[in-house]
Amino acid sequence: MILSTLVFLPLLFAFIVLIWPNLKTVRHLALGLSIAEFIVSLGMLENFNPQSASLQFVEKFNWIERFGIQYFFGVDGISLWLVLLTTFLTPVIILASWSSISEKLKGFHICLFILQTAMLGTFLAMDAVFFYAFWELSLVPMYFMIGIWGGARRIYATVKFFIFTMAGSVLMLVAIVYMMYLTQEATGHMSASLLEFYKLKIPFVGGTFFSVQTLLFFAFALAFAIKVPAFPVHTWLPDAHVEAPTPGSVILAGVMLKMGTYGFMRWVIPLFPEASEYWAWLFMLIGTVGIIYGALVAMVQPDVKKLVAYSSVSHMGYILVGLFAFNAYGFSGGLFQMLSHGISTGALFILIGMIYERTHSREISKYGGLAGVLPIFTIFFFIITLSSIAVPMTNGFVGEFLILIGTFKAQPAFAYFAVSGVVLGAVYMLWMFKRVFFGAQGELVRDEKHPLKDLNAREIAVLVPMVAMVFIMGLAPNYFLNYSKASIDNLVNSKNGYSLTLTENAQSILDFVPGNAPSGASDGSANVSKITPEQGDN
Amino acid sequence: MNFSIGLRDLLLVSPMIAMFILSLIPLTVKVLRGNQEQNSYVTLTQGLLGIVAAVVLVAVFGGAGKTAFNNSLIFDGITQLISIIALVSTGVAMIMMYENPATTGKQFSELIFLTMSSAVGMLILVAAVDLLMVFIGLEMMSLALYLMIAMSHEEKLSKEAALKYFILGSFASAIFLYGVAFIFGSTGGTNILGFMEKAPELIQTSRIFLFGISFVILGFCFKVSITPFHAWTPDVYQGAPTPHTAFMATAVKAVSFAAFLRVIATKSLIGSEHLFDILQWLAVITMIVGNTAAILQNNLKRTIAYSSVAHSGYLLVGVITAGISDSGVFGASSVIFYLIGYSLMTLGAFAIASMLERSEDHIVNIDDLAGLAKQRPMLALCLTVFLLSLAGIPPTVGFFGKFYLFNAAIGEGLLWLAIWGVLNSVVAVYYYLRPIVVMYMKDGDAQISNRSLNATTAVVVVMAAAIILMGVFSGPFFSIVERSLL
Repeated sequence: MILSTLVFLPLLFAFIVLIWPNLKTVRHLALGLSIAEFIVSLGMLENFNPQSASLQFVEKFNWIERFGIQYFFGVDGISLWLVLLTTFLTPVIILASWSSISEKLKGFHICLFILQTAMLGTFLAMDAVFFYAFWELSLVPMYFMIGIWGGARRIYATVKFFIFTMAGSVLMLVAIVYMMYLTQEATGHMSASLLEFYKLKIPFVGGTFFSVQTLLFFAFALAFAIKVPAFPVHTWLPDAHVEAPTPGSVILAGVMLKMGTYGFMRWVIPLFPEASEYWAWLFMLIGTVGIIYGALVAMVQPDVKKLVAYSSVSHMGYILVGLFAFNAYGFSGGLFQMLSHGISTGALFILIGMIYERTHSREISKYGGLAGVLPIFTIFFFIITLSSIAVPMTNGFVGEFLILIGTFKAQPAFAYFAVSGVVLGAVYMLWMFKRVFFGAQGELVRDEKHPLKDLNAREIAVLVPMVAMVFIMGLAPNYFLNYSKASIDNLVNSKNGYSLTLTENAQSILDFVPGNAPSGASDGSANVSKITPEQGDN
Repeated sequence: MNFSIGLRDLLLVSPMIAMFILSLIPLTVKVLRGNQEQNSYVTLTQGLLGIVAAVVLVAVFGGAGKTAFNNSLIFDGITQLISIIALVSTGVAMIMMYENPATTGKQFSELIFLTMSSAVGMLILVAAVDLLMVFIGLEMMSLALYLMIAMSHEEKLSKEAALKYFILGSFASAIFLYGVAFIFGSTGGTNILGFMEKAPELIQTSRIFLFGISFVILGFCFKVSITPFHAWTPDVYQGAPTPHTAFMATAVKAVSFAAFLRVIATKSLIGSEHLFDILQWLAVITMIVGNTAAILQNNLKRTIAYSSVAHSGYLLVGVITAGISDSGVFGASSVIFYLIGYSLMTLGAFAIASMLERSEDHIVNIDDLAGLAKQRPMLALCLTVFLLSLAGIPPTVGFFGKFYLFNAAIGEGLLWLAIWGVLNSVVAVYYYLRPIVVMYMKDGDAQISNRSLNATTAVVVVMAAAIILMGVFSGPFFSIVERSLL
């Protein structure tokens, strides 16, 4: 039951916040609850078996029996760290928003907890319709978060965000229903289970757009590409980021964008292997263009937050390139980059939020010489900057390095261009750093009437875990990669006949429900017998 | 012909009889009191009593596929479910009438009587399989409605709406009757069960029959506001008192779709390629027109009116699916499930519009909602649930309704209709989000009506909860619907 607990605990928390009588202690309450959630997720990590590529802690019940739609949670090496990233960032966000969110406190924390449920559900759901429900649900709290607590153009930004993402995902829904009918054709009974989808052999014809697999591939890929966001459907992101309140930006950059890349890894590539391979050049191309375009646009932004937003486009481009290299380096680099981008960009947004609280401006030109005034802040900012430009020993380096190795092995032509992003990334980040922290003191910095105060204990407490993660992930990447290695190897080795098995561990015996568990068990064993000959062929 | 009427027939129509008799109570009391209005609360209770009695009787006696009165009425799953939808919507609409400034107070007894008469017409319409019975039900329902709208305390728009509705409604009825005449001419009967077997053949061999069935379908298109026959909808919906609008948009639409399903069950679409193509295009055009026109509106009721046109388009997809599939059960049950969800969310949205009306001629614009979240957080939350459900965001019933509807369509190979449907629901998101934006993200001092609104509030909260619960547990609900149609 650990995964259900993990997903639906925040919903319960939202309810507790709703009925909590004392408005003054809502923040403390929310912080405590989110830490409890993090501890639960650590408990899951503790019991996770890194050697296994199969789905663990599986919970499988019939939800809508008529269509074979299941309440189906499971975690493997691909989703494990994304879950932990989500639960790790939430308390940090609550602590970071301690003083910046002062209105409608309850509403804010309720949104945050509902969003957490939706995001965790997206990462853990293994049934297409179940997944889709969480995927769409995540839009609603984010929509409110940007719309209520956001900046001046928040309404434009939030509506754009909602409609863009929704527009991408409705075609995915049609594709899901279509695939449910394909399972009915193949097995005689309809199912929306991802494991059943993996078993489908969807006909693929190269050279034409109108073959079944290609169309399904694009229906899914569009939904995820908008979420990533890949060039040229990235335009909602800068608006949403700039207008969102700090906690909203952190969640958006830290976790929600990963829902897109996770979708590619979990759904698109294993479900449509031939189409993915055939159209890999396209996604490599938009990934590479995204890297360079994002970096170039970031360079000229006058607004720090917008600069970081565009840097996200660039960093997410790396992940896309890495995933479509289809080798172990690319996949593990992509996965690692998802985590490290979540940490470093999340931290950047928090830092920008902190300085914004002090000066109420994000204009780079109004700063300068901040290093002399706010030394502690500068140190933190510098570490995160280094992590963002992927300096060795920080988390950013590992991901980008692995991705570039993978790309050089698979498609060197794209790697030549993608590698330029490393240099460009250094250019825009360091140039921004120079303009903000060094040189002559800007008008906001030397403002005598409003002397700037350096970070207080709470703010340091927010940043310390983030910086710690930067170094832990940079120095001991293997700790993280080992957990996902088995899953990624499985994905690489059996990409054209991908399947997942269910672990028969103590957890699922505990969940034994007459009528449900036996079918789950037979599913698993059928997968095992099916995968072995195919692996032999490879 | 044998005219003997058995007890069984009477039991089957007992909901209509009970409803009719109970509808006379408020009217009689008023007459006996010397034309003095009794306490509206008592009138409302009498009305709701009729609804409850009818629901119980429908649940007890209907639903076994029995026919009554020489096969002119049928009591199967469709009858039972749609009757219940219509009756519940009527009940909710009555509660809204009780608290809406345009309908409460003087002449409330007459209003309740007319509402219940209209509901009797609906029960007949839902059960009718003889086209003449359909016509009787249709007219009984509509005539009461024309009067109800014209009776509003508001002096200008409602009169215009009543006249418009009367003229266009009569026009639609005439078209329908014209079609029935042609069907009678080609088959020698008006009973759908009579010509059901041979309809797909007949439609190919007999031009007269094709003509007749097309006109009958056209008549329904008017009633359920399929573009290009939807032009009356926004004006009438806006002009009528809000409770009546809610009544028209849910109960009337549900029963009209039920009758539509009866006609489509003749498999005429399989016989006639052209009719099939035309209906598909009508569905697409209806969705597009409804959604794009709704974007341009500022008036809350008009926005929901256009949204209900768009929803007719989605529903037509389901009707077409039911018309071309072999058993038709999946398509029909998806339509019915959608109607259940649609009725809940539309009633809810109109109920909130009704609560915002402070006087009988108060026009509520979307911008008037500004600040509602601060003033009345519960109402704002409920309206948000209704709008998100209309937009089809999981886990509301609106999402699952669309999911089943398009699932059925894809299963019958109507993939392109499903794609049009989902793309349209993206367009729709824009205008469904607008009231939410205004409520939560703009400052203002939204005032709700200062009369007592306890009953409407309670109903609204129950419906919002039902929308979420029916969404999360939609599987069992859908199975119940589907099983009752088998």
